[in-house]
Amino acid sequence: MRRVAERIKVAAIFAPGCKIKPVWFEWRRQKHAITELSYFWKDRDGDATLLHFAVSDGSNLFELIFNASDQNWTLEGVEGS
Amino acid sequence: MPSSRIILHIDMNAFFASVEQQSNPELRGKPIAVIGAAKRTIITTCSYEARAFGVKTGMNTWEARQKCPHLIFVVGNNRKYTYTSTQIIMIMREYTPLVEVFSIDEAFLDVTGCLSLFGSAERIVYLIKSRIKHQFGITCSVGIAPNKLLAKLASDMQKPDGLTIIKPEDISRVLERVPIKDLCGIGAKMNQHLSNFGIKTCGELGRFPVDILKRKFGVTGEKLHYMGLGVDDSPVVPDEEAEEVKSVGHSTTLDKDISELADIQMFLLQLSEMVGRRARRYQVAGKTVTLTVRYPDFTTFSKQESRVSHTNNSEEIYLAALKILNSIELTQPIRLLGVKISNLRQHTEQLPLFPAERKKALLAGAMDQVNNKFGDFAVTFGSLLGKDGGSKVISPAWRPEGVRNVEVD
Repeated sequence: MRRVAERIKVAAIFAPGCKIKPVWFEWRRQKHAITELSYFWKDRDGDATLLHFAVSDGSNLFELIFNASDQNWTLEGVEGS
Repeated sequence: MPSSRIILHIDMNAFFASVEQQSNPELRGKPIAVIGAAKRTIITTCSYEARAFGVKTGMNTWEARQKCPHLIFVVGNNRKYTYTSTQIIMIMREYTPLVEVFSIDEAFLDVTGCLSLFGSAERIVYLIKSRIKHQFGITCSVGIAPNKLLAKLASDMQKPDGLTIIKPEDISRVLERVPIKDLCGIGAKMNQHLSNFGIKTCGELGRFPVDILKRKFGVTGEKLHYMGLGVDDSPVVPDEEAEEVKSVGHSTTLDKDISELADIQMFLLQLSEMVGRRARRYQVAGKTVTLTVRYPDFTTFSKQESRVSHTNNSEEIYLAALKILNSIELTQPIRLLGVKISNLRQHTEQLPLFPAERKKALLAGAMDQVNNKFGDFAVTFGSLLGKDGGSKVISPAWRPEGVRNVEVD
């Protein structure tokens, strides 16, 4: 996976039970609709909890990170483009 | 009663590779091999599709590519695996408090006392398997037996996604033809020793005169005899009841072999900081410092030295490790370095009396506070700035919590 590490705009559904489902994101002026959330995991960076989402827009795989501390979304990496 | 226990052994199938195949749908059904983040390229694990071509854990990438030319290499993500493992262990603990984490992808469960709640051991296995599959999309193989030895043997019998039950009345029949090397605890050397006695199967081991085994192997001889009979009274020990850790250590296989003293010192300092930080977090201090060195030909040796007092100060650990290094004549470049403190005691925070010591403790405390907030190595020794710190490998001793919960990169 190629590292990107860029802050991005994400639309997500915050469902009951602390479930977050990213729906689309914008990267380099292009909107990517998320067709599959294939994996989710959490880790920490200092006292910040980072939520990782492996998502696909139908052609590429992306890793999105939601920093629960500063509420920012980052596109961590992309596979396939 | 040990004879009526019901033990499960749950073994995640090709754990790291399965997680990667779930993370990336493009990899599903394909031969993949997970390799470390470091530049050294030994296969950590591989998918069942790759195993069908003869690819195995521990092979180097070149050898694996010979076996399977279209093998896909995936750089592992240890934090993804430790998170997944921790969640799976939490699922297991919903069925019994007696869960012994054996490694990141294996656990023993004693469900003897939980059957009235869930009906049967098979029902518990079905529920755990379903939840793991639903939540993570991955499978596991499970063994059900009256003890840990047989449960582990059983889980190995059907892979992937298997369930094997060894009932008490079937033990001798099942073990009769099982090769002794399939038993957990019988490695290549012991297998060879026993082969010299003409023992190849568990049935033969169980029938072999125990006196001869005891003469040859001491107390282990009697244990071997019972292993051959499928007898194992060892309890399932949950983490909170496990023996206290005896050491805190970190080792790292270097990206490339090093021989320059400055490079060696830099890695020693990094390892000492990791050891010191973990020891301080869990409030232990060690009196003995051990340095481990591995050469490129895999010759490995350790040397230790005891200090006058206990410490968990990174600088003091580093200086002790450096002293040991200076007493060694290195004959080859270094492939792996390890630093460990042992002879541990609980160390509650108490400011030292003398100003120099007090300053050192306050500095370490301040650094820890910053690193707790902003992440490991956010503030560190000047000579480590810009270096890639942290553990690259999940140790077999990794556990989901406590002092053995080593954070990995």
